[in-house]
Amino acid sequence: MTGLIILMAFIAIIVVAFATVLQKSLPDAVILFMGVGLGSVVLFFVFQAPDVALTEAVIGAGISAIIFLMAIKHFKEV
Amino acid sequence: MNFKRDISTRTYSGFALSALLVLTILNILIQNVPSKIHRAGETLLGVNAQEGVANAVTTVVVYFRGFDTLGEIAVLFIAALGIGLMLSAQTKEADKEESNFILQKASKMLFPIIMLFGVYVMIYGHLSPGGGFQGGVIIASGVLLLLISDQTFEVPHAVISALETFAGISYVFIGLIGLIVLDRFLGNFLPHDISEMGMLFSGGIIPLIYIVVGIKVGSEMSLIVQNLLKRRDDD
Repeated sequence: MTGLIILMAFIAIIVVAFATVLQKSLPDAVILFMGVGLGSVVLFFVFQAPDVALTEAVIGAGISAIIFLMAIKHFKEV
Repeated sequence: MNFKRDISTRTYSGFALSALLVLTILNILIQNVPSKIHRAGETLLGVNAQEGVANAVTTVVVYFRGFDTLGEIAVLFIAALGIGLMLSAQTKEADKEESNFILQKASKMLFPIIMLFGVYVMIYGHLSPGGGFQGGVIIASGVLLLLISDQTFEVPHAVISALETFAGISYVFIGLIGLIVLDRFLGNFLPHDISEMGMLFSGGIIPLIYIVVGIKVGSEMSLIVQNLLKRRDDD
C-alpha cells in the first residue's frame, strides 16, 4: 500500500513537472508548479517527515506560487 | 606558440590533479562517512530525551542548532528589508476595483480559522510536526487572503514593527540568560524534566523560542506579502 502511494506520487510529480515545462501560458505553469509541490508533500509525509511536509505545503505550494503570480502580473502577462 | 602549449599542459595537469582530488575525497567518503553519519544521528536522538521535548526535529532546530536558527532569522529579516527598500508599499490610487463578493465574505469567515491554525502550529511545535516557521507563514498566508479580498485593508505598520522588534530582542535575550545561568548561549535554564514529555508546558525554553520565531517570521512575511501586493504598477 505504501509502495503504491510512493509510486503514484513519483509518477504524478514527473508528469506534472513535464506539463509545467511544456506549458505555454505562464499562470497555468505556476498552477501546475503548485501541483509538483503537492506531490512532494505526499512523498515527504509517506517518508515520515511531517515537518518538512508542512513546510513544503505552506511555502512551496503556497507563498512561492503567489509570488510567481505577482511577478507575472507585473509583467502584464495575465 | 610556446605559451599556448604551456597553457594546455597546465590545463591538463590541473584536470588530472582535480580528478585525483575528487577520487580521494570520494574514497574517504565511501570508506568512513556513512557509519559516522549514522552514529551522529543516533547520538542526537539519544540526547534528545534529556530536553523533554517530544518532537526530536524541534530539539535539533531550536536547541542543538539554535544559533543557526538565529542566523536564518537574520537572513529572513535582511530579505524583508531588501524587499521593503526595493518595493516600498504605496497604495494604488483611484483604480481600486472591488473584488468578488463571495471572496470578500468567505475570506472574512476564513481569516480567524487560518490565524487559529497558525497559532496552534506555532505553540504545539515541540509536541507535533510544525513550529515557528510554518506557523508564521500560515499566519502570513491568512493576511495575504485578507489583502487580496479587501482592497482597503492594510497591515498596521506600527503593530508589526513592534512585534518584530520584540521577537528579535527576546530571542537574543533568552540566549543571553542561558549564557549567564548555564555558561552556554541558548542554554535550557527553565525546568525540563523528562517526566513532563508530551505536556504543553515542557521542554524549558524550547517552546518559548519557537513562539518567538513564529511571531518574527509571521510579521516579516506579512510585510513582504504586503509590499509585493500593494506596489504601484508604474515603474
